[in-house]
Amino acid sequence: MTAVSSSTANDFKVADLSLADFGRKEIQLAEHEMPGLMSIREEFAAQQPLKGARIMGSLHMTIQTAVLIETLTALGAEVRWVSCNIFSTQDHAAAAVAVGPNGTPEDPQGIPVFAWKGETLEEYWWCTEQALNWPGADGPNMILDDGGDATMLVHKGTEFEAAGAVPDPAQAESEEFKVFLTLLQRSLAEDPQRWTKIGQGIKGVTEETTTGVHRLYEMTEAGTLLFPAINVNDSVTKSKFDNLYGCRHSLVDGINRATDVMIGGKVAVICGFGDVGKGCAESLRGQGARVVVTEIDPICALQAAMQGYQVATLEDVVATGDIFITTTGNKDIITAAHMAQMKHQAIVGNIGHFDNEIDIAGLTKVPGIVRETVKPQVDEWRFPDGHTIIMLSEGRLLNLGNATGHPSFVMSNSFTNQTIAQIELFTKNGEYERRVYVLPKHLDEKVARLHLDALGVRLTKLSPEQAAYIGVPVEGPYKPDHYRY
Amino acid sequence: MPVLRSIRERFARERPFDGLRVGVCLHVTTETANLVRTLIAGGAEVALCAANPLDTQDDVAAALVERHGAGVHAIHGEDMATYYRHIEAVLDTRPQLTMDDGADLVTTIHASRAELLADGEILGGTEETTSGVVRLRALEAAGQLGFPIVAVNEARTKRLFDNRYGTGQSALDGILRATNMLLAGRVVVVFGYGWCGQGIALRAKGAGAQVVVCEVDPVRALEAKLEGYEVLPGVAAAAKADVLITATGGRDVVGRAHYEVLRDGAVLCNAGHFDVECDLTSLRELAVQRRAVRPHVEQHLLADGRRINLLAEGRVVNLAAAEGNPAAVMDMSFANQALAAEHLVRTAGTLAPQVHAVPADIDGEVARLTLDALGVQIDVLTDAQRAYLTTWDQGT
Repeated sequence: MTAVSSSTANDFKVADLSLADFGRKEIQLAEHEMPGLMSIREEFAAQQPLKGARIMGSLHMTIQTAVLIETLTALGAEVRWVSCNIFSTQDHAAAAVAVGPNGTPEDPQGIPVFAWKGETLEEYWWCTEQALNWPGADGPNMILDDGGDATMLVHKGTEFEAAGAVPDPAQAESEEFKVFLTLLQRSLAEDPQRWTKIGQGIKGVTEETTTGVHRLYEMTEAGTLLFPAINVNDSVTKSKFDNLYGCRHSLVDGINRATDVMIGGKVAVICGFGDVGKGCAESLRGQGARVVVTEIDPICALQAAMQGYQVATLEDVVATGDIFITTTGNKDIITAAHMAQMKHQAIVGNIGHFDNEIDIAGLTKVPGIVRETVKPQVDEWRFPDGHTIIMLSEGRLLNLGNATGHPSFVMSNSFTNQTIAQIELFTKNGEYERRVYVLPKHLDEKVARLHLDALGVRLTKLSPEQAAYIGVPVEGPYKPDHYRY
Repeated sequence: MPVLRSIRERFARERPFDGLRVGVCLHVTTETANLVRTLIAGGAEVALCAANPLDTQDDVAAALVERHGAGVHAIHGEDMATYYRHIEAVLDTRPQLTMDDGADLVTTIHASRAELLADGEILGGTEETTSGVVRLRALEAAGQLGFPIVAVNEARTKRLFDNRYGTGQSALDGILRATNMLLAGRVVVVFGYGWCGQGIALRAKGAGAQVVVCEVDPVRALEAKLEGYEVLPGVAAAAKADVLITATGGRDVVGRAHYEVLRDGAVLCNAGHFDVECDLTSLRELAVQRRAVRPHVEQHLLADGRRINLLAEGRVVNLAAAEGNPAAVMDMSFANQALAAEHLVRTAGTLAPQVHAVPADIDGEVARLTLDALGVQIDVLTDAQRAYLTTWDQGT
């Protein structure tokens, strides 16, 4: 079923190249909905600021990402790509990117992409490794990461090479980490300096999401970060838009496509009331669900209460909720013991980055439990007492697994930040140290500005007197860095 | 109140009520004053009393007497004896048309002023609110209704707007003025999910409250549930209420069982027409102490130390503690009143002694005049579209 190219210039692995035409049509639709990226292409077409950049991208291989990839190549970059999630690839997008705008399925001329929907864990890490192998060079000189898996592979590889040994995979805390360690064990045997060399060649990483950013700050703290990083997630035009409005759109889309359940009248439990949780709560409330929020942070909990949501512990509502969604970025939020107490056919899903928010491993260990697949990414788990729960996307982020992720317009905001961050780190590398940066305010405002015209927004302009009165330049930036939007 | 103004201008030209005696029992507010002026402009002689002892705005009552020549019998805070004496005073003018809000005029006529029926001079009456229509239907069912009534309450341009958006806003306004409490984050329990309850729930949710609905009608309950509200039996809801509002039109909707589980500091109030929705007798029996803590807030201290704050003595809170429904929605309701009164005069003697609906053309006219006043333009069906909608033989 998978197509593997034999030519080294065009190495890739995708599900089905014949989907490329469909992918290209959707890419063209998305380009219209991604005005930020298209403006950046125009602005930098002549300058080619990414010429010489070898960008390894690890980010959900969707139609929107295809527009990002082709923006990077339009600015001069060489690119190799993988998905950062085993379920999130849209196979027609991957095919279209492999074929490229000027190629055909018989003569693909796109970029090397290694991604298909429904990878095994082994395949997932194999893909990541392929995208980091750079024909004609030690490796990439830039990483564009989402969740930090590519960055982690380089860092852990470097760490174990320095130690001269990889920890025993049999002792790994999770199935995935076992696969990860096995890969590094093999790699160390083949080339004991491979990841060290790759790490030395990398000028920087731009990170898309909360979870990856969290890892980067930890490495900075520990002094182990190998290269500078830009935290794209915390651009206002990313986290406030992608996390809040993106999830508001795609959560119910995922639930509807997976289950077609009537949301009005249901009790929905949202674990976590950060930006993602806020968007999820609003989307379910908008469909007529009564939303209950769980939180550990008193500020977020109070915010939820003031917006009229009931705030309770999961234990309080586990037996009465109809829909449970995790948004926390933390692990072990919904356990097998919780799911054992749920109503018959309660829907359980996660929209946080990783699949450890819901304890799937624990679920499989419940004695006598039976898993029946209803359709791809929708499983009914039957407990010995006869009640079932409906698990979406095996606990992986359901807006991508069960629907098509965030809409193009929202992703245009995120990806315009990514592109600007790549240009910043690549062209002004000397100005950055080995720590984590956020994009300066004026670039954040620029991203927003690039999206206003498409919505018919008419912006009011400060008079020089008004600007002077509040002490900001007429052209911005308008807010101090600590301002919370 | 631009709609009523345009009707008043027409009435002044056409004088549909020339010399007619009209008895009006409505909340004596600025909005009612505009309705009374409209009737007077049409040639009516108007006698007015209050439909509730707490709702009279004394300045308005005075102005109606001094500037507009109405006979007004209403004092804010009048006791029940005075209240009924005022109703009698209006009936003493031998009205030929009645205009009621709660049916006190019509029911008093039938109960104790049968001579007015015997005269045969009464052309008909109009009724403003749900509670009044319920009483009048009961009178009709008993075979005793002596003249035709137009149920203004059931006009679409009345209850969809006055009850839902008017009461929704003003009931919360009354609670806020009385208590100055923050609604965000609070549990607001609404008894009754009719038009008023829907409006109250909608606006409370908009203010950030967690809304719980209690119902007896399964269809209404299901509506509330699918709208996203929690639906609970009354006592279970009362146990979590910060604010408990009744809007049912029924009686003894909340009582001892509810008071026993209310949280310390809970606010209890009524947005329904009469003061019988909260069983005040039980509340007073349970209280070891009662004291006024703010205007319109009477705190009941219970033996176990819990305090229950009753607003406006359980009377309709939007009128008692705030200013009633906003003028914009009362404009629509009272435009219906004025046009229904005109309809009764124009059809004099032809309507059976029953409760009648507001004619559809009056409803449409009120909506059209209101849209004009709001500057809203709408589309009209083409002839082809109209034909399509009225034939049976055109399908897909």
